[in-house]
Parts: sequence; structure tokens; C-alpha cells
Amino acid sequence: MGATLTNPLRVGLRQERVIPPQCLVIFGASGDLTHRKLIPALFELFRQRRLPSEFAVLGCARRPWSDEEFRSRMAEALAPEVKRHQSAWNQFAACLFYEPVDLQQPADAVRLGERLEAIDKLKATRGNRTFYLSVSPAFYASGCRSLAAAGLLKDPSRSRVVIEKPFGTDYASAEQLNRVVQSCGQEQQIFRIDHYLGKETVQNILVLRFANTIFEPIWNRNYIANVQITAAETVGVEERAGYYESSGALRDMVQNHLTQMLALTTMEAPGRFDPEAIRNEKAKVLQAARLANEEEPWKCCVRGQYSQGGNRLNPVAGYRQEPGVNANSTTETYVAMKLFIDNWRWQGVPFYLRTGKRLPKRLSEVVLTFHEAPVHLFDAAGGSPTANQLILRIQPDEGAGFVFEVKAPGSGMRSRPVDMHFSYDESFGEPSDEGYVRLLADAMLGDPTLFTRSDEVEAAWRLYTPLLELIEDAPWQLPIHPYESGTWGPGAADNLLAEEGLMWRRP
Amino acid sequence: MAPQLTLQAPLELPPDQVPAYLESLWSQGLKGSAGAATFTLVVWEPSWLQQQLVRTGRLDGPISGLLSEELLTAARGAVTDCGLPPSTAPSAPELAWALGQQEGQHSAPDLRGQFVDRAISSHRPRRLITLAPTLTADTPLETLVAAYCPLPEERGSGEDACGDVVVLRGGMGAIQQGLAILQPLIEPDLPCWVWWNGSLDESPDVLEALATPPRRLVLDSSIGSPRRCLDQLVQRIATGQAVNDLNWLRLRSWRESLAMVFDPPSRQGALQHVVQLDIDVEGQHPVKGLLLAAWIADRLGWHLQTSYRLPANGDGEGIGAEFQRHDGESVQFRLMPVPVGLAKTHPGALVGLRLICAPQGQAPLCVILCSESGGCMRLEAGGVASMELAEEVVPMPNESEEMELARLLGGGHDTTNPLLAAAAPLAAKLLPE
Ligand SMILES: NC(=O)c1ccc[n+]([C@@H]2O[C@H](COP(=O)([O-])OP(=O)(O)OC[C@H]3O[C@@H](n4cnc5c(N)ncnc54)[C@H](OP(=O)(O)O)[C@@H]3O)[C@@H](O)[C@H]2O)c1
Repeated sequence: MGATLTNPLRVGLRQERVIPPQCLVIFGASGDLTHRKLIPALFELFRQRRLPSEFAVLGCARRPWSDEEFRSRMAEALAPEVKRHQSAWNQFAACLFYEPVDLQQPADAVRLGERLEAIDKLKATRGNRTFYLSVSPAFYASGCRSLAAAGLLKDPSRSRVVIEKPFGTDYASAEQLNRVVQSCGQEQQIFRIDHYLGKETVQNILVLRFANTIFEPIWNRNYIANVQITAAETVGVEERAGYYESSGALRDMVQNHLTQMLALTTMEAPGRFDPEAIRNEKAKVLQAARLANEEEPWKCCVRGQYSQGGNRLNPVAGYRQEPGVNANSTTETYVAMKLFIDNWRWQGVPFYLRTGKRLPKRLSEVVLTFHEAPVHLFDAAGGSPTANQLILRIQPDEGAGFVFEVKAPGSGMRSRPVDMHFSYDESFGEPSDEGYVRLLADAMLGDPTLFTRSDEVEAAWRLYTPLLELIEDAPWQLPIHPYESGTWGPGAADNLLAEEGLMWRRP
Repeated sequence: MAPQLTLQAPLELPPDQVPAYLESLWSQGLKGSAGAATFTLVVWEPSWLQQQLVRTGRLDGPISGLLSEELLTAARGAVTDCGLPPSTAPSAPELAWALGQQEGQHSAPDLRGQFVDRAISSHRPRRLITLAPTLTADTPLETLVAAYCPLPEERGSGEDACGDVVVLRGGMGAIQQGLAILQPLIEPDLPCWVWWNGSLDESPDVLEALATPPRRLVLDSSIGSPRRCLDQLVQRIATGQAVNDLNWLRLRSWRESLAMVFDPPSRQGALQHVVQLDIDVEGQHPVKGLLLAAWIADRLGWHLQTSYRLPANGDGEGIGAEFQRHDGESVQFRLMPVPVGLAKTHPGALVGLRLICAPQGQAPLCVILCSESGGCMRLEAGGVASMELAEEVVPMPNESEEMELARLLGGGHDTTNPLLAAAAPLAAKLLPE
């Protein structure tokens, strides 16, 4: 969260949960994610003294680097940080090691096992290991298999595997991958990453709902008229065209991040704050979710693709003109849809999800709109009174807002809406952990609360299967609507809501 | 978590046979077990209070070395019987000493070192060594050894992970003699923690011999004379040794609560304008209060000008000091002992804190933190009514020493926490000679 002002009394206080001695093994150590996110997050944890002295990072990839080469490459990639904290970096870099490993070569995993034992001796890491698969998804299965075959996953209390997104590309592939992964280790050892769960404000949905009594009684169909979940980006596809072309917004954003927000917003209260209790409830609600029209899914989903925009001075390329994108691409960069949840709490409440690239604002939020007052006693300044809204802002400007009607000043009894706003920055002023810092720390602590369980992943894929099949088999039924870069998506998306007399919230 | 006994009955061996026995244990029975690469924990466990309570018939055995509820109840009863002030904490060495003056010849089995708290055993120590001095000074040295395995449910389905337990028991003379056996039992390549679970005033030579760097020391600066406690802390930190002070760790919720008050950016400016800091503590042990004050002063960049004793009022002597802020303005500090009806387990527990900030052109801000059990009427009095008031109740940590220790063992550091390293020398200067 934006603020940089720090409270001098806060420094060094975040030490409630200690990460146990261990060796973190990163596969894909020469890749983009490692130097952009993982090593910076680890260095941050190191500087906050949240890593124990008995700690090591073993980088692995195919290229034949040495420990020294790995260290200097990482130092290069983090140059500004390293310069600012040179002596801390020197200490940290001494915990970095490298071993050339090809995940598809079983013999390499055996050599890896030997190297790990040597590191256990050198750094007293007690045989605890976290394996982080930061490699192409094509290697998740074979990677797990070779680790298991080398006996590196046999103690579930001391070894775990972190798997990056995406976990599968549809229901069948996710199920297949789960089967492989579960044959290699126990579910408790598997940590499937969803970056959104690393965000403080996503976690706050749970606290807001279950630490307060005022929300729960009204958190249901009797009071809530509809729910909108938005994740809007201003950027285009950037350098990720290769990946994005085969994925699209539905796979890249909806199946994971938006669905996680949906689950946290709609789940029942868990009996206790316990990873399994929470994940049970999330899985249950996702299993009850469905597309608003499963027989004719084209009626409840709109796909879009950004086209040129900007102005003469600052033209913005359309998706099909981006480098690496097929000039006739039908990959969606925008998707909006309507869902229902078939359970007692949510029966009949429509849920609208949308996400897109090159929208006017970068923002993620969940908006709960309440039923209107049963009788309109007062004239509203804006024609009809605005329904109450609770807005959970995930990013930026993290916080929560509540929209309600008050009396407009002046004679008469006209009402108008006002916004009561809670802001993280104003209340805490503390930059919270970057998502990867939180998720890496949790994985190394063995706390799976913020990771998705196999049944959650499968339920999420199942939910969108009718759409994915349609795109595959009859794409003309779910056409790509172009929208100008910098607008709120195709007009067709507005029709999804218009039939109910609703509109997307314009944040 | 309930402590449990080692699974094997310990074997009593002549002291000189211990090393060879352990050697064979690891080369045969425990060979290849995962316990091999963790750490050694050495505990100085005099348990004088428990021994005296048992001897005077106030507590049933066995002697376990653990601070149980029964023990605390018996100790609180003994405070009155011994004519000590009610604010005397059960773990204050004065209490054990006063009990030592009383009659009694009761005895009980001595099982020190044979109970392993689950919180500790779950970290699978390679070796747990306990030094258990007895009340009778001339008891000869006894050495006990046992292989130790966690219960199946702690073990997970992985390989067995085992360690061993060594107990050295006897009078003080015997213990001195035992030190020679002990040194070679500490694996030099593994981290070693030394937990000084007694007063810092006693047996300085044993402490010296056990807690040599780079071994990591765990001590409690609330037990022993304030001067000695702070000096030990400062000297040991200065050598670069990793020092963990349980008394400092118990300040966590106070530091957290105070930081929380100043989290809103709109409040942070006030921290630059503190004019007064008051701390109330239980009884006559100021170290915890001084550590808290020193932490605040260090974080806010204050310089100590003078410190002095405050004239005794009914409740005993206080400490006063003056600091200078960055901008040259001065900050007044006062630490006062206050009487309490029921003392917390450890001497010098905090009762309340008051911080007054006077930013220019704004209403003064008064922050008051109170412990859950005590009130802070004293701090709420005196002109506070005209200020913006931020009051917080500080939750009482309710964790055993073993849990706290287990947290250290669970993710150790080979250097002292920098906040403690900065606060300790300042706290030592705050304590007037
Ligand atoms: N980058 C991001 O911002 C981002 C964001 C979200 C999720 N992810 C996910 O994170 C993972 C890694 O992404 P990335 O962008 O870092 O990928 P990348 O830059 O392409 O790196 C892939 C890494 O895998 C290694 N590798 C390839 N084949 C291997 C094999 N057979 N055995 C061992 N290592 C092998 C490569 O090194 P060698 O060629 O030396 O073997 C390289 O270090 C992917 O699953 C991706 O979906 C990335």
C-alpha cells in the first residue's frame, strides 16, 4: 500500500511467526520470476530478520552456473536494492547456492538430494525443504515426479512443493495435474499459488466479514441485490503475448483471481480460523456456483478485445497489433459474465464478474449492492435513491467504502448519497508486505491458508467449463467484441446487466 | 501443551562412561536418524523455588523444573508466610532464599531434564543437556542418559527423528566437576542454545563456562539484581553473541500496542514532540520498564542527559531521567514501582505507560497503555483530561517460558535482535549507580 511514511516504533516488530530453518529450492532460478519477485521477497524477509540464520536458497535450472555466478546474477538484477543495503546483501548472498538440475532427468534429482544433504550439514537446515516450481507449467508434473522418485518428498512435515500459476488450462488438465501431484506427496505438502490471496485487502474480506457482527446478518439474498467483482488493468499484454495468446482473460484472471475474490466474499463462516476449515468453505461455495445460463452460456458472458486507442500524440496499439500477437487473434483481453450461487444464502442473487486490459483505471474491487428501501419516502436529488453499497477496494487505495443516503442540505427533504470511506493508508500508514513476501513466508512456515487446495482449483475450472468448451467448439457463439483502448470494455457487457435494469459501477 | 516424559526410562551411568555410551547410541540405534542435524540445548535448571517448596512441604513432587499452576499458587502462598511484600513475584530469587531459611525435610523424586515440553520436542533437538544442582551442596554427581523420540503423532509419517537427553545432577561441587564432561557432548558444528533458567546473580563461573560464544544464550533479565542483569546483557551483546532475553520478549505486546497507537500517519508527527514518559512497574525490579523506555528512546533518537533515583514514596524508590530530543527539547522520564495485590510470575511486570506529546499549535496527545489486570489510575490522574487521549489495554501474553523458548529454537538467529542490542546499553545507563 502506497504510503512510505513509517512509524519508527513499528520497525522490527513483525516477528510473530518464525520461519523454521530450511533450504528453499527454486527451480527456474535463471528465469524471470526468480530475479523479479522471489529473490527480492527473500531479501526483504532477510532484512526484516524473518529468516532464521539456518537458511539457504538453492537455485536450480539447466544452465551450468556456479554458486558465485548465481550470486552475482542476482546482485545484478537487484542492483539498486543491493547498493542500498550492501552489507545485508553480502550476508544474504552467502546463503545462496546453485545446482544445475534438469527437472526431466531423474538422475539430476538424485544429485540434487545429495547436494541438499551437504547444505543441511553446512547450514544446519534440519532437513526441512521447500521446493518452489518457478518453471514452465509443462514441467509441474514431471518436476513433482522426479522429486518424489528421488525420495525428496517423503516426509510431509519437512518437505513441501510450491506450484506457480497457472494450475492447469481447463478442468481436465487441472484434474490430471492434481492426480500426478497427489501421487507424489500429500495434499498438505502442495502449495498452489494465487497471487491475489497474498494481498492484504483480499485477506481483509475474511476479517471484515467474520470479525464483525454487523455484516453477517445482512450478507445474504434478503439484503443483497447483486454483487460486482471487477479487476481492471490499464496495461496491455506487454511482453507476455506468447503466453497470453493461448490463455486469455478467462484463464489468466477469472478462473483464479476473480474466483478467489468470489469465494471469500460468498463462503460460509468457517468454524475456526484454520486452513482446512477455511478452504472447506471456499471449496463448498465454489461447488455451488454456476454460470447464470449453463445451457446457453453465450447469453451470460461477453468477450472483448482491445483495439487501437489513445490520441494522435500518444497512440495505443490494439491487441492484434501487439508484438507476438496473431493479426487475426481471437484471444479475449476482456471478459464479463453473470453467475449464480445455488445455496440458501445466495439463491437468486446475480454475481457479475469482469476483468480486462487497457481499461481506463487500474483497480480491483468487490461491490455489494443492497436492496432499495421498500418505500421511497423522500425525493432523491438524483431522481431515485441510490441503493446502499458496500465497496471492498482491493487495489489501489485499499480500503472499504459504504454508500448511503443522507438528507441533502436545504429546505425540503431530499436525499442524496454519500460515501463513508475507510482507507488502509490513512489508518495504518504502513506499507504492507508485497504479495510474494507474504506467500513465500507462509509457504516456508507451512501455513496453507492462502493457497488453493485441489478441490478449489477443480471447482473453479468446472465453473467455467461450459465457456471454455464453447470457445473451443463454437467460437462464433461467443464472439470477440472489440473495444477502444482506454474505455470500460465493449458495450455488449452493459447489456448483461441492462436486462435487470442494472449498470456496472463506474469507479 | 502438556510436557511429557522421555519414552525410555533414563539410564544412570557413571559420568566417565557417558560419552562412550552416547557415541555408541548414535552409531547404532540412532544411526541415520534425522535428529542428527538440528541443535543442542543446554539448560541450567536450578529450580530452587520448586526444590524449596517441596522441601518445606508446600508442594508435592516430583521436581520437574516446570512452572506449573500448582507451583505458582504454592509460591504466592509462601510470599505471605515468609513476610515478603505482596508485590514479590513468585520467581523472584528472594522468595526461594526466604524459604531456604525455613524448616522442612520433605523430599520427592527429581525428574528435572526428563520432561520435554511438546513445543520444544517438536523441534527435535539433537541433544538436550540439563544441569540440575541440588539443595544439598555435597550430593555427588549423577549422570542420566536416554534416547529420546517424539511421540508418533509428532513424528509425521516420515522417518523416526530422535535425539538424546543427558542430565547432570548433584551438589554445586559435583556440577562443577560435571562441566568437564559436558563440553565434549556439545557438537561443535551444530547450533547450541544455552538457557540460563535461573538467577543471573548465581554461579557466574558456571554461566561463564556454559555460555561461551558462538553458543546462543537465553536468559531472563528479570531474575537477579537489576545491575547484574543489565550488565550481563550489555557485556554479552557487546561480544557479538546472540543473546535472547525472555524479559525483553515478554515486552512484545507492549511494544506492539504502542506502535499501533502511532500507525495512523496523522498521529506519527506527534512522536517528534514527546515531552514526558511515565512507566509504572510491579515491585522493585525496574529492568523491564527500563528496557521499554530505552527502546522508545532509541527508536525516537533521544539522547540521555542524566538519570537519578527519585525519593522514596510509600511504594519504594523510583528512577527519573532526562532525555534530549533531536530538536534540543527535553523529555522527562519517570519509572515508579507500584504496589499490587497479586504479583505476576516475573519481577517487575509492567502496570502502565503514559506518553505525553505536545506538538506545536495542536492539542497535546496523551497515550496511556494499561496492563489487562491492573488499572492505571495513577497515570490517568493529573491534567490528562484536557488532552486528546488514546488509551489501550495491553493483552497479557499467556505463554509459558517453554513456548517462548520453543519459538527461539524454531527459527534461531546467531546474532542478537538489533532492537534489543540497541535498547540494552541505554537501559543500563538509565539505571542510576
Ligand atoms: N514472470 C512472472 O511475472 C510470472 C507471473 C506469474 C506466474 N509466473 C509463473 O512462474 C513460472 C516461471 O515463470 P518465469 O517467467 O520465471 O519463466 P522463465 O523466465 O521462462 O523461466 C523458466 C525457468 O525454468 C528453467 N527451466 C526450463 N526448463 C527446465 C528444466 N527442464 N529443468 C529445470 N529448469 C528448467 C529455465 O532455466 P534453464 O533454461 O537454465 O533451464 C528458467 O530458469 C511459470 O510457471 C509462470 O507461469 C510467472
